[in-house]
Amino acid sequence: MKKLNLRLFRLLKNSKGQFIAVTAVIIIGLLIYTSMNMAHINLKSTVNYYYDKTNFSDIFVQVSKIPKKEVDKLNKLPQINKAEGRIVYDVPLKVDKGREKVKVRVISIPENNQVNSLYMIEGQGIENKNKDVLVLEQFTKARGLNIEDNIVPQMGGKQYSLNIKGIVASPEYVYLMENEQTLLPQPDKFGVIYISEELAMDSMGFTNSYNEVVVKVNQGTDVEEVKEILENRLDKFGVKRIYTKDEQLSNRMITEEIEGLKKTSSSVPLVFLFVAAVIIAVILSRMVKNDRTSIGVLKALGYKNSDIILHYMKYSILIGLVGSIFGITLGILLSGYMTKMYIQFFNIPMLRVKFYYSYMISAIFISVLFCMTAGLWGTRKILKIVPAESMRPEPPKSGTRIFLEKIGVIWDRLSFSWKMVFRNIFRNKKRFIFISFGIALTFSVIFLPLNSMDAIVSIFYDHYGEFQTMDYNITFTKPLNERVLTDIKNIVDVEKIEPKIEYPFRITNGHREKVVNIIGLKENTSFYNFNNIKDQKINLPSSGIILSEGLANYLDVKVGDMVKIENFIPEKEDIYIEVKDIVRQSLGINGYMNIDYMRDKLTDEEMITGVYLDSDDRVKIKLDDAKQISSIQSLQDMREVFNEFLDLTIYSISITVLFGGILGFAIIYTSTSLGISERRLEFSSLRVMGFSKNDIYNLITRENIFMTILGILLGIPLGKYMIVFLEKNFSTEIYTLYIKTSLLTYVETILLTIFFIVLAQLATFKKINKLDFIEALKSRIT
Amino acid sequence: MQNNALMKIRDISKEYQMGEVKVKALQDVSFDIQEGEFVVILGPSGSGKSTLLNIIGGMDTPDNGKVFLRDLEITKFNDKKLTKYRREKIGFVFQFYNLMANLTAKENVELATEICKDSLDVNQVLEDVGLSDRKNHFPSQMSGGEQQRVAIARAVAKNPLLLLCDEPTGALDYKTGISILSLLNRVNKQYGKTVVVITHNAAIANMADKVVRMRSGKIIKIEHNDSPVAPERIEW
Ligand SMILES: Nc1ncnc2c1ncn2[C@@H]1O[C@H](COP(=O)(O)OP(=O)(O)OP(=O)(O)O)[C@@H](O)[C@H]1O
Ligand SMILES: [Mg+2]
Repeated sequence: MKKLNLRLFRLLKNSKGQFIAVTAVIIIGLLIYTSMNMAHINLKSTVNYYYDKTNFSDIFVQVSKIPKKEVDKLNKLPQINKAEGRIVYDVPLKVDKGREKVKVRVISIPENNQVNSLYMIEGQGIENKNKDVLVLEQFTKARGLNIEDNIVPQMGGKQYSLNIKGIVASPEYVYLMENEQTLLPQPDKFGVIYISEELAMDSMGFTNSYNEVVVKVNQGTDVEEVKEILENRLDKFGVKRIYTKDEQLSNRMITEEIEGLKKTSSSVPLVFLFVAAVIIAVILSRMVKNDRTSIGVLKALGYKNSDIILHYMKYSILIGLVGSIFGITLGILLSGYMTKMYIQFFNIPMLRVKFYYSYMISAIFISVLFCMTAGLWGTRKILKIVPAESMRPEPPKSGTRIFLEKIGVIWDRLSFSWKMVFRNIFRNKKRFIFISFGIALTFSVIFLPLNSMDAIVSIFYDHYGEFQTMDYNITFTKPLNERVLTDIKNIVDVEKIEPKIEYPFRITNGHREKVVNIIGLKENTSFYNFNNIKDQKINLPSSGIILSEGLANYLDVKVGDMVKIENFIPEKEDIYIEVKDIVRQSLGINGYMNIDYMRDKLTDEEMITGVYLDSDDRVKIKLDDAKQISSIQSLQDMREVFNEFLDLTIYSISITVLFGGILGFAIIYTSTSLGISERRLEFSSLRVMGFSKNDIYNLITRENIFMTILGILLGIPLGKYMIVFLEKNFSTEIYTLYIKTSLLTYVETILLTIFFIVLAQLATFKKINKLDFIEALKSRIT
Repeated sequence: MQNNALMKIRDISKEYQMGEVKVKALQDVSFDIQEGEFVVILGPSGSGKSTLLNIIGGMDTPDNGKVFLRDLEITKFNDKKLTKYRREKIGFVFQFYNLMANLTAKENVELATEICKDSLDVNQVLEDVGLSDRKNHFPSQMSGGEQQRVAIARAVAKNPLLLLCDEPTGALDYKTGISILSLLNRVNKQYGKTVVVITHNAAIANMADKVVRMRSGKIIKIEHNDSPVAPERIEW
């Protein structure tokens, strides 16, 4: 082995800890990089492949009723590849031997189904048009249903006993959620079933007509343009809602997930690589500084500058390579696992996992790039070392007084060891700043995931419990007269009950428009707590509309603006209404109006679409038979679903915290151990002077305590800044993040930060223990 | 002026700017070094000895004047050529040995020979300096005198034209110092190497072929010694 390589090898052996610590940071960075990028691209291509195979539609139009022949006409349009009509209804279904009522969406499929075709997982297609049903896989799993089982949905007020002929997956329901208001999939409470067109027409009373049209446009056609054409053409059939693939709920959820992966995969690894690069640059520049004489000797022996630079650079290149090998290998393993997990979570029946060498190459490339840059930066001073000069002992550091000494009042009160601590800190400002900043970064990297945990919890508890306070949210199958309140009160023992109207409308402001549910509430509703964007409590105004913040942002409206509200109820006019206020709502986007005002302007007198109620009674069981009730959502159910989801989240957040901790550990461990090896002489002199090992530990501990405090103080604003970034970048249409950091989170973050610092410190104490002070003093001259 | 000296040093000057004051480290220094000579440079601290030696060794450049290796003007060399010059022609021995701490004695010597074309056999050189049984020891496991022997072996093994030693005995006691000097003397005689040794101890001068006396950056006297004394007989 070349002697220089041998020297490097022994150097590495003597500072294994540092090497491992930095390499671990690179490994994590690349692990995240490769796994997330590969999971991202695999998930994306799997989804696209699935959409392609099943002919996922580009446009969805919900209408009141459209005759079959009108749909046939659409197929003649040059822009349209295929339009299919279908009948879609949400209906109640008894499950669990009739003990529980859940909701299923019945969708008719034409004989020769081409758009949104189903993927057969088990069984076969419909044969007996009046008896056979296909059921979405998620629901069969959640409910333990099998081929040849019977289900009895109640369609058009009548019970139909159907035979499960096949278990299917659909591109429309990779993420199964009833609507935008649902936070999480509840496959046991909401399912999708497919029946023949004939049966749907018979049972729902649609003779040769449909209530939904799904359209696949021709390749190269602008979807928005076709959407506009359809909107005009189908207007006379009472367009309730028209939306594109981009707005389709399931697709939107998965797209957001893919985008999220992309964002994380392109930002987080850079933080890790950057930190590693800084640590490498620091280690190398300290090494070069300490090796000044040795470098001079090498130059005197006739080694070229490039030889010497390469000698030190090998350290960083080695870190880059070892980091790449482990990071990429682990990343690939994890990506396979992650993709499978996602595909299961999203119920995609096919998998397109390819191995993307390009990510391997780019991972090696970035890591080597970072390490090389760090290496060049760290070794840049080698060029400046003149051999003749390097042999001369370095001029002693000018022993100027530190500024604290000038403040006699404080200085005179400090004990000798504290004086030493402060002298050290102020004499090595660079190291001091580096460590403090490292601690600040550690703090914020731990702070962030803990906060997103807070955020997720608060999205939920803010929405269910603070914003909405009802025990039950009951929705009817169709609008009813307000008199049903009395009927309900007769069946269940209610504490409080209020009517509601929840109906979709299109709200337009200038070019921006959105179809959302507007909710009509009683004047002094006790089931909603509205807070404006300044977080002040407000009441529902008696006229006008209030919008949730997410919706207001989307539509770009301010308080006082007039928005156009388009009505999907036939024969109702579009009207302009003033936006009276904008309110915070973490989950979903909605508009809210006084129920009387809403009935006056938008709907029918006395009509309601559901009720909110508080009750200790067994509401679900008692109201189960009510034919006009489509769903009963209880706060309890939501909490259970959420807690399940939370368990998963805690898992991934702990991993993130761990990564943050490793980052902090690496920063503190390397800088402390660098400090110790640089100060070997100083410590040895102290030992010779009669200081015990413990005295030296105390000295370092005090320095670190001081830096930890400063680092945490720096970390708080840094962490907060990152949170603002998180709020902005990770809020979606479906949820808006309002992060309120609780005191507990601060305490937890501080404790965790200190934990990792202490760990790093304990690891460095080993070095002091091993410090042979005679040898250190002797080796000064070699 | 035509002569066949190995090194010709002509009118070398070097100044250092130390804040307000200029330090004239060397002023118009000229002299020759003949092949196979044992040269001692004498002078009080700060007289410019190290500066001169460093310039001869291509570790530093003068402000004015020229240095020739036969007819090659090394003061014209760029950084790359200087490196090559140091690599192939020069062997250095420093006051503080300057060995690599994490390489053994033998490895320290190999560090130097590995980049030279005509290097000598490392084991042989180590035996010649009397360290064959210590060659696998690390510098921290050796005494100062032993470390300096390694340093000399490192310089000699390169098989240089010129061995430059800056106060090689400065950090050693009397007896060890003598043994190092006799080693250098032996290198001079046995290997036929040209050796230049800096010291501020006048007694060493007796063993030299030529003594260059310096003061305040100038050569004040050059003496030729026709009958050099063996180092063992020198008293300081
Ligand atoms: N890099 C430098 N910067 C400033 N002054 C320098 C530098 N190198 C040498 N000098 C000055 O030049 C003069 C000659 O220095 P040099 O090291 O050559 O002396 P020396 O004869 O070797 O002394 P000693 O016997 O103490 O080693 C001294 O006054 C010294 O202070
Ligand atoms: Mg000197």
